[in-house]
Amino acid sequence: MGRYVPYLLFGLVGLVLLGIGLFSGRFVLYLTMRVMLLSIFALGYNLLLGRTGLLSFGHAAFFACGSYGMSLCFLHVTPNPLVGVFAGVCLAVLAALIIGFFCVRHTEIYFAMLTLAFGMMVFSLVWNLRSITGGDDGLVGIGRAPCLGFPIARDSQFYFMVLVFFALTVWVIHRIRSSAFGLVLAGIRENPQRASFAGVSVRLYRLAAFVISGAFAGLAGSLAAMLESNTNPFSAHWTHSAEPVLVSLIGGLQTFSGPIVGSLIFVVLREIIERFATNWMLWFGILLLVIIMGFRGGAMGRIEAFFARKATPRGEEGRP
Amino acid sequence: MLESLVHVCLTGLAQGMFVWLVACGLTLIFGVLRVLNFAHGAFYMLGAYFCFSFLSWFGDNFWLGLIIGPLCVCAIGFLMERFFLRYVYHLDLPYQLLLTFAFVLIFDDLVKMAWGAGSLGSPKVPGLSGSVPILGRNFPTYSLFIMGAGPLVALALWAALEKTWAGRIIRAASSDREMASAIGVRVPALYTGVFVFGTWLGALGGGLAVPYVGLLTPGMGESIIIEAFVVVVIGGLGSLKGAFLGSLVLGLLSSFGTRFIPAFDMFLTFILMAVVLLWRPEGFFGEAS
Amino acid sequence: MSTPLLQVDHLSKAFGKVVTANNLSFEIHAGQITSIIGPNGAGKSTLINMLSGSVSVDEGRVFLKGKEITHLPTHRRVRLGLCRSFQVVNVFPALTVYENIQIPVLSQAGKAHHFFRSLSREVKAEERVMEELERVNLVKQAHTLAGKLSHGDQRLLEVAIALAVRPFLLFLDEPTAGMNPVERAEILENIRRLSAGGRTTFVIVEHDMDIVFSLSDRVMVLYRGEIICDGSPDHVKSDEKVRECYLGEEVV
Repeated sequence: MGRYVPYLLFGLVGLVLLGIGLFSGRFVLYLTMRVMLLSIFALGYNLLLGRTGLLSFGHAAFFACGSYGMSLCFLHVTPNPLVGVFAGVCLAVLAALIIGFFCVRHTEIYFAMLTLAFGMMVFSLVWNLRSITGGDDGLVGIGRAPCLGFPIARDSQFYFMVLVFFALTVWVIHRIRSSAFGLVLAGIRENPQRASFAGVSVRLYRLAAFVISGAFAGLAGSLAAMLESNTNPFSAHWTHSAEPVLVSLIGGLQTFSGPIVGSLIFVVLREIIERFATNWMLWFGILLLVIIMGFRGGAMGRIEAFFARKATPRGEEGRP
Repeated sequence: MLESLVHVCLTGLAQGMFVWLVACGLTLIFGVLRVLNFAHGAFYMLGAYFCFSFLSWFGDNFWLGLIIGPLCVCAIGFLMERFFLRYVYHLDLPYQLLLTFAFVLIFDDLVKMAWGAGSLGSPKVPGLSGSVPILGRNFPTYSLFIMGAGPLVALALWAALEKTWAGRIIRAASSDREMASAIGVRVPALYTGVFVFGTWLGALGGGLAVPYVGLLTPGMGESIIIEAFVVVVIGGLGSLKGAFLGSLVLGLLSSFGTRFIPAFDMFLTFILMAVVLLWRPEGFFGEAS
Repeated sequence: MSTPLLQVDHLSKAFGKVVTANNLSFEIHAGQITSIIGPNGAGKSTLINMLSGSVSVDEGRVFLKGKEITHLPTHRRVRLGLCRSFQVVNVFPALTVYENIQIPVLSQAGKAHHFFRSLSREVKAEERVMEELERVNLVKQAHTLAGKLSHGDQRLLEVAIALAVRPFLLFLDEPTAGMNPVERAEILENIRRLSAGGRTTFVIVEHDMDIVFSLSDRVMVLYRGEIICDGSPDHVKSDEKVRECYLGEEVV
């Protein structure tokens, strides 16, 4: 019975999201879409950070590749949204392959710094190539043509496209995590040397995790461009790379739903704080401090540990 | 043509020394504590803002501000290390970086709350403002001052590390902390001391930056920290010699880059870092691990 | 004379001025249990590291079943059938014992790259994992986190992970270090049995002379990067040079 609880919970969440889509006003719709997009970004990213143990500060670049790839496709090739999303994800995957190839040879600090450098290179390209990317203004006028015949011009309609991609992401990430590949990634995080002595090419698997997480970043970016109708060059800045890290940490690095819960907390808290004060960064800084100093399992980590302790008295903590 | 080239070189040298002044503290902290402190840019910014306020409140004694400002800032650095950073040394890298990043968020907002979100124009320093004609063209006097201050600080640091008792302990602890602890060095106190000193250097850099950058904004920490990172990494993590050389290279490259390919100056900085890391992962003077 | 399992030609390695391997040449044939002994600093660890790919070779060549592996990365050597265990316990601490064995089993079965198939569908792999666990008597701890095992169990797991890739040639680096006599006897019995089974050839680095002389068919003595004696246990026991270099170390 206990094994089905997660599935029931996800079913419940799905119903709630459907309900929001059918009955909410524009503001709640917009907010929920932002949560879903950030979740897509963070779920993919956490495959690299939580699972494989690699901290990248350059994934904002892949998000931006998604945004700009999709937008350029819309403006110059075809308004078809699925083709646009595909174009955005492909550009992100290409960038992740190239950048990842150079970065996965290194670990820890050097990996973080190299990804930071490459990510900022993408940022400076986006900023400087005004004629292509619109420079600091970004690309504007990104519309939403019907998707497979369904109109998505209104937010209330576009919501369902986002919901579908969100559900797809959740499903794919779940499959990856419970696959042999997912287990090997955990092994690489725990002990890369031993993993290579198990016959695993550590570099190849790290690159795969890098590219997969880059693809989801690109997906999030493509959908974000459609949501906002424009692109933002700062979406490639390294400080934007910190968002999925923050979000995964808040939710719980080693859990599956952590990135989703973290995204919810992040977006909602930020909205609340921005309503009443201008210093949301201060409060997030404090929240981050609290988590790192005391609650490193994150929100979901604590909840899962609590249930695990109730289920097995010996304590089966920390599922990989 | 020649004056143009000479000026580009001089600008590059000045910029290089400016980055060195900020990066030396970061390098020292990394060399001993093995922590890459994202908040170093925030300390630089705090140093600049404190010195600026000092100038506005107590009249134009720039030098006094340079003494008092960084002292205030390194007190904040002490609090950060003693009550927070100290407890995460044993954790994985992501947690350490994120802790320092949390402080970036906090300090950035605190500065906005205290000094406003807009930019502040920086006052001129009497005696060092204005410009000096070099080969027919005018070159800012303050930049010449920075070009001199950089090597001076480098020399002072070198002397402190090589010739003093404290310096010897620091060098010992950075190469082998277990050994240092075994021979009686109180490592936690040492770490706090080095962190405070590194922060002081960063804040000093900020104070010196006030007349150099012309404009103080709450985002100034973010932009300088990236260049400081690049310098620390290409010089070799923890190597002051490397950071000095790296700053020079970075300054000259970015100066020439801005002059001849203005669209890509930021890009060049990162190409430099990527190229160095890919060719020689330990940086110029780092140790291969 | 069939192709030797392992052939080492003029292997040399120096760290700065310290020569850890000096023109080493030898062969290992399938089926024999070989022990490598020598005082500390003799170069045993470096040799294992070079043969397994953790450390680069200055000069010389290494052949596994006739195929040159001198510069191959570690994971490729493992796929060709060479593996090692570690002196210091080197497991996947936050994963369960079951998962620790699952990784090498899946890798060896060529299933490690499946990223969409649920692990629960890999039935054959599951059977193999249980086999390996039974072999080292860790079935009861299958769902305990590796990091929380007792030291002796961790050492068993350590060797089990290496065995799980079904290597032809397995280097055991001080496998009994820190084990109590019961555990030691168990692991030795396992090695003897597996060796007799014919699939895996063992090369053991050891300090415990009882184990060395009771278990091995052949003993190689390393001293300052050179092989000073190589032969049957009796031959080595009575060799003058060996006695000399062990004066002050273990008494044979």
